[in-house]
Amino acid sequence: MVSSNGDVRAAIRGWLQENVTGGRDVPNDEPLIDNGVMTSLQTVELVVFLEDTFGIVVEDEEFDEENFGSVDAIASLVESKAA
Amino acid sequence: MRPRPEFTLHDLLYNSLASTPEKAAVVDGDARYTYEDLERESSALGAALADSGVGRGDRVGVLLEKSWEAIVAMVASSRIGAAYVNVNPLFKAPQVEYLVGDCDTRVMIGDSQKLEELGPKTLQTAFYRGAKPEGHAAGSYVDVAEAMKGDGLKEDRKVSESDLGTILYTSGSTGMPKGVATSQRNLVVGAQIVSTYLENTPEDRILSALPLNFDAGMSQFTTSLRAGAALYLLRSRLPGDLLKALRRHEITGVTGVPPLWALLIRGARSLRENPLKHLRYIANTGGRIPQANLDELRNLLEPSGTKIFLMYGLTEAFRSTYLAPEEIWRSSPEQGNCIGKAIPNTEIMVITREGREAAPGEPGELVHRGPTVAMGYWGNEEATRKAYRPNPLAQPELLDVERVVYSGDTVERDEEGYLYFLGREDAMIKNQGYRLSPEEVENLLLGSGLVHEACAFGVENPAVGQDVIAVISLRNGGEDGAVDRVREYVIKNGPPYMVPKEILIRDELPKTGSGKIDRKGISSAYSTG
Repeated sequence: MVSSNGDVRAAIRGWLQENVTGGRDVPNDEPLIDNGVMTSLQTVELVVFLEDTFGIVVEDEEFDEENFGSVDAIASLVESKAA
Repeated sequence: MRPRPEFTLHDLLYNSLASTPEKAAVVDGDARYTYEDLERESSALGAALADSGVGRGDRVGVLLEKSWEAIVAMVASSRIGAAYVNVNPLFKAPQVEYLVGDCDTRVMIGDSQKLEELGPKTLQTAFYRGAKPEGHAAGSYVDVAEAMKGDGLKEDRKVSESDLGTILYTSGSTGMPKGVATSQRNLVVGAQIVSTYLENTPEDRILSALPLNFDAGMSQFTTSLRAGAALYLLRSRLPGDLLKALRRHEITGVTGVPPLWALLIRGARSLRENPLKHLRYIANTGGRIPQANLDELRNLLEPSGTKIFLMYGLTEAFRSTYLAPEEIWRSSPEQGNCIGKAIPNTEIMVITREGREAAPGEPGELVHRGPTVAMGYWGNEEATRKAYRPNPLAQPELLDVERVVYSGDTVERDEEGYLYFLGREDAMIKNQGYRLSPEEVENLLLGSGLVHEACAFGVENPAVGQDVIAVISLRNGGEDGAVDRVREYVIKNGPPYMVPKEILIRDELPKTGSGKIDRKGISSAYSTG
């Protein structure tokens, strides 16, 4: 389902550009929560997008700041599930 | 030992200190702080604030993420007779600078990164948390960690219940945010009332999930302090962290706004498999929970013994009404939007346009009378006179010195005395539990320098309350990509809940007969497509 690491990051960044940042590209390591880039409701929408796009299920307990703190962190979670 | 009479915030500390000195008062991540710690460190910080020139009645800004230091800052200010002003940590520099100017805050305790964003000479002295800030936002800098370890006050300043205790900033239907001047008495009585109906005890472990700049978020701290309970600070608003905190700390009580419950419900499967059996109550404030979510919450929580309180309050009088758990069925749409009855020690009147008491079933404005009625809006006489008025039902033999709060909310009362919320007439936007005036959003848009005219309004969306929508015209007709640049500016210079979900462009905005931008017309044109 996922061809390479780069694709996951690009897909997440694309979604953020379209739905959150108004066109600005977000670096992979930029803090998303601390800086208030994403609201909690946008995070919920992002999870729906990830589940639909990558065919994964994010468990309730996994839906936390550790896993959603940056594009890198989210990609690691997705990759660990898609592997 | 007889408890002290409760006049000030720090009297609440002393009573809990006497009964439960070594008990956890605050838990912040892995760190646990006792009531003794709170006494000692608030004394040291109070002394340092006094040294930096903070006098009785002065304002102390608190620009900190929710943290132990933010808690200590409130108590320290109280002990030297100063008023703390908790600032929304989501604010960007323009909003912080507005607030600092509005209530003339010269000393601020803040996270270094946030302090660095402020313009030169914004403050006289900044107490920073973290590395020493670069730049010139303040004339002098003090490390707050050092200040909290220093020598304490020889004694607390003389403070009475009539002193200003805090200023709570809130958005109304017009203009920029207003500071509700709240007395020590308002704070203490608020804590007494809420801890009475929530039946808080020293055994409670309360989860602080709301920001401390929000009246209900601060009230959780004051009630916990009064009860001698333990307050667990939660900064994250992601459902996984919320669930883990509730389980790990065996939380007994939590207050939240509707979006928080939407996040909690996301963990439905986990809640069904492993119910929160320690959770004694949840309390909602800041708007109505969508009925489907309330039904689901009841299904998930009530079987394991959690009680659900529905509260209604206005910052101008702290808390006003609540619907008790056993009456919760009254809040269904078939029953009308029931907001319950007055909180203890408080009278809620329903007043018609003619100024008389409404009959049962007759709509009128909700008017609040009681000891939590605040002192007024800081530095804003016009707004104060409009909202804080003489008691319309006062006995004629008494001079009308008493002030009550006119809420701006339309309600009606039934034969049994239950109150039902009917609506508001004004343009206030409620997004994700935050109140916003359209002008705040419009000013932010205009601040980009790219926008000629702006009109903002709210559109109902049960998931968030209301979405913020903006219709703008551009300066010089605009250029390619102008909307993206406007959006980028707004994201950079405003808190996330102020960022419009949609920004639409028109060549020119429609005006009313008097030449003002026709917000009503624009908003209804949007809604009807």
